[in-house]
Amino acid sequence: MVKDQGQTRSELLPGTLEMLVLKTLMRGPMHGYGIAQYVGQTSDEVLQIEEGSLYPALQRLLLKGWVTAEWRQTPNNRRARYYQLTPLGRKQLVVEAANYNRIIEAIARVMQSA
Amino acid sequence: MSKFLQLFNRLLFLLRRKQLESELEEEMRFHLDMKVQEKIEAGLSPEDARHLALRAFGNITLAKEDSRTMWGFRYWEILWQDLRFGARMLLKKPGFTLAAVVTLALGIGANTSIFSIVNSVLLRPLPYEDPDRIVMVWMDNRKLKIDQDIHSYANYADYRAQNQVFSEMTAISQRSFNLTGEGEPERVMGAAATSSFFSVMRVTPVVGRAFTLDEDQRGRDKVAILNYGLWQRRFGSDPQIVGKSIQLNGISRTVIGVMPAGFTFPGKETNVWVPLAPDPQLMSNRSGFWLTVVGRLKPGVTLEQARAEMGAIAKRLESQYPDINASYGVNLVPLHEQVVGTIRPALLLLLGAVGLVLLIACANVANLLLVRAAAREREIAIRAAHGASRSRIIRQLFTESMLLAMLGGGLGVFVALWGLGVLKSFSPSDIPRLDQIAIDKRVLVFTLAVSCLTALVFGLVPAIQASKPNMNEILKEGGRGGSAGVRAARARHLLVISEIAMALVLLIGAGLLIKSFSRLQEVNWGFKPDHLLTARLQLPRSKYADAQQVRNFYEQLLQRLNAMPGVQSAGAVSDIFLSKTPNSTNFSIEGQPQKIGAESIEVPYDSISPNYFEVMGTPVVKGRPFNDRDVEGSPLVVIINQTFAREFLPGEDPLGKKLKYDSLDGPAPWFTIVGVVADTRRTGFDSEVRPETYIPHAQEPSAGMTLVLRTKTDPAGLTAALGNEVLSVDKDQPVYDIRTMDQLLVEKIAQRRFSALLLGLFALLALLLAAVGIYGVMAYSVAQRTHEIGIRMALGAQKRDLLGMIVRQGMILTAVGISLGLVVAFALTRVMSELLYEVSATDIQTFIIIPLILAGVALLANYIPARQAAKVDPMVALRYE
Repeated sequence: MVKDQGQTRSELLPGTLEMLVLKTLMRGPMHGYGIAQYVGQTSDEVLQIEEGSLYPALQRLLLKGWVTAEWRQTPNNRRARYYQLTPLGRKQLVVEAANYNRIIEAIARVMQSA
Repeated sequence: MSKFLQLFNRLLFLLRRKQLESELEEEMRFHLDMKVQEKIEAGLSPEDARHLALRAFGNITLAKEDSRTMWGFRYWEILWQDLRFGARMLLKKPGFTLAAVVTLALGIGANTSIFSIVNSVLLRPLPYEDPDRIVMVWMDNRKLKIDQDIHSYANYADYRAQNQVFSEMTAISQRSFNLTGEGEPERVMGAAATSSFFSVMRVTPVVGRAFTLDEDQRGRDKVAILNYGLWQRRFGSDPQIVGKSIQLNGISRTVIGVMPAGFTFPGKETNVWVPLAPDPQLMSNRSGFWLTVVGRLKPGVTLEQARAEMGAIAKRLESQYPDINASYGVNLVPLHEQVVGTIRPALLLLLGAVGLVLLIACANVANLLLVRAAAREREIAIRAAHGASRSRIIRQLFTESMLLAMLGGGLGVFVALWGLGVLKSFSPSDIPRLDQIAIDKRVLVFTLAVSCLTALVFGLVPAIQASKPNMNEILKEGGRGGSAGVRAARARHLLVISEIAMALVLLIGAGLLIKSFSRLQEVNWGFKPDHLLTARLQLPRSKYADAQQVRNFYEQLLQRLNAMPGVQSAGAVSDIFLSKTPNSTNFSIEGQPQKIGAESIEVPYDSISPNYFEVMGTPVVKGRPFNDRDVEGSPLVVIINQTFAREFLPGEDPLGKKLKYDSLDGPAPWFTIVGVVADTRRTGFDSEVRPETYIPHAQEPSAGMTLVLRTKTDPAGLTAALGNEVLSVDKDQPVYDIRTMDQLLVEKIAQRRFSALLLGLFALLALLLAAVGIYGVMAYSVAQRTHEIGIRMALGAQKRDLLGMIVRQGMILTAVGISLGLVVAFALTRVMSELLYEVSATDIQTFIIIPLILAGVALLANYIPARQAAKVDPMVALRYE
């Protein structure tokens, strides 16, 4: 893996961002920056989200009622907006994860067939 | 579900728009700051760090823009656009808008005001705990055909002991008391009730305590509980009231409590409660009926179960005590039913009527919209050609309809406020809970719902019609009526037909009510109701213990009243006017076999002053009235009415015959019939005339009497003087229920007047709307056919022919509408038969005259546009384009 930034950043499949956010929030309430950090780090920086695009996605999740938001103090005493999964969001994550697996398997089958 | 959540969140977002913006701003700033810090910690210079952070973040403005889209402002933007456009379109045609909004406001306003009455009278629960478990337990007196009669104590005790369906039962006797002591003597309504009253009604005093079980015993019952209003008014809300004593009918009682505000059961004006505590002799008495019985159903017991079990007990009592209880059943009426039962059919009828009025209004507005849609065909076609989807166009048109409906609804609330004020001023006082009528939240929700529904009814069809234009044709045709023309015309005709049909149904209903109301005005009461003042007196037993005292009091009082200036003559009768349950007892006639048990018959008996019939203006048709020689010690005499003579002494001369009343104590004396009086409708216009008997007050004194004064001047002016005369005979004796006879009679028919007047009003409104509807459709059709009319005229058609042609077209619609309406009315008026008085629900006269009136109005509405058409100048018409 070449880690030259900006060149080999992998594009996300459409709709995957929301799933990643939901999955990240399974670990507990987190702010936008923290979510971006976590996704970047756990994917070994392969999945570099364009961090700005995180915010419209979060608004959508709020609208659908899958997450709730709350202003809290960070450990460094700064005010940040923490997002938290709702029960509805948990259910949605299960659905999306299942979908995702189906697609990945399908793609894998196609790729192996050649 | 999630759709709703989203809509709700959208609304929330809209309301918090400013906050959302600033929060997003802050959270992005936080993100960038953290990122910069992270890079600095990794050893970069602040500038480089900032640069990299921004690059990683991407396009900030776009992120904000996308977020805004997520908040759904776009959704509201479209709505706002539609609303603005709709408002512009409405403003462009102020005539159309005004006509539509006013029509809707009238319809919605009428519905709102009637619903607010229905809401507070029928829908709002009674102010008791679990009010639907409280049931009135009446005696069904098949002998006198009174289905809500009162009980004897012995029967009450048996019902209470033997049933398993009521958790508790109470016996109540409505009383009135002379409240004396500090201040003016006052007549207060009250009730004597067993201590179980409080567990049946589930009410506890706000001050002090309820009756205890041992206060049900005679001797320990000298206590009283006050109504909140009386406590406030007469005792200045004295917090130390408990323990003080008051004088009721000359007996001293200790106040032990005050009921919560607004609690007045069983009467509207019950001001004082005392323990029932009958003496042992009365407790074992089965034939004296004096108790109103109320019960609270056990949890889980249905009304039907209760009816079955109580009915079985009644049967048992009938066979156990055949000489007394034969043909006495039991009749259970839920309290709510009892309170609103008489007014419910009238109110539901009115609600149905205003519903029809609103439908007619909708039909009119739909017609207006169809006409307008035709005029806007090109506009809509152009929008469609520019790529507007069909749903987008329907949405736009529907937004306009919604806007109209909301304007109409908003104005309608004001119409309703005004209407309610008017309604209250002439509505009968015996509508229960009238004072509580108001436009509350539930009414407003109703209005909103009705407005939305209205928009659906009048807006949807025109919107769908207009949204599927045949674009090619319209755009090609260059202006004149497009392809939708024929379809739209058919829709308009259908609307007119249904309008006429609905208006006819309303008119016939109103006609029937008005006819029965005019029948009521012609009721022959059997006495002269004008210039009569009536008032009620009740002498307390504590002060007037023996018959002689009672006799003396009334003799003295009547002497004074007869000498009063402005009074022609004054008399008295023991019964209360227009009371449905007169004092009555079993009787037998000399020479006829005595009838006992189920065979026995009751007649009302009344003590009267000798001049009573003269005062009332009731003719004595046979024999003589009572005179001053019919006193104590002289032979006992009785006067009967014509119905009595007809039923019990058919074909005989009643004069000289003797009858006796079955009394409990000792052998009953014989009364000789000395006169026969004309029948009167003393118990009200809607009950049949029953046999009646009258005895002289001097021979059979009664402590409670109704005074009747025939006056030379306006009887209402003598009210105060009458009170003073009573006080001058006994300064502690209040007189109450002072009313003119006209007032009493008006109150009796006020409910009917109310519904007749309102239904008449609604029917008139319907007629007007329908006439406007016909006129509108015909005028439009004439305007559209100007070209055709011109050609016909150019080809030699006469004005008369044209007039006939157009009027015929309109009258065909009218005839179809009327036939349809007649069928519906014939089926529907049956439901209002119980509201009619001596008029059949399918009264031929009404079913002929009303359609003729409607046809006449329709003819007029047709004729005006037709004449316009006939006046068309063929040259102008042919050039018209």
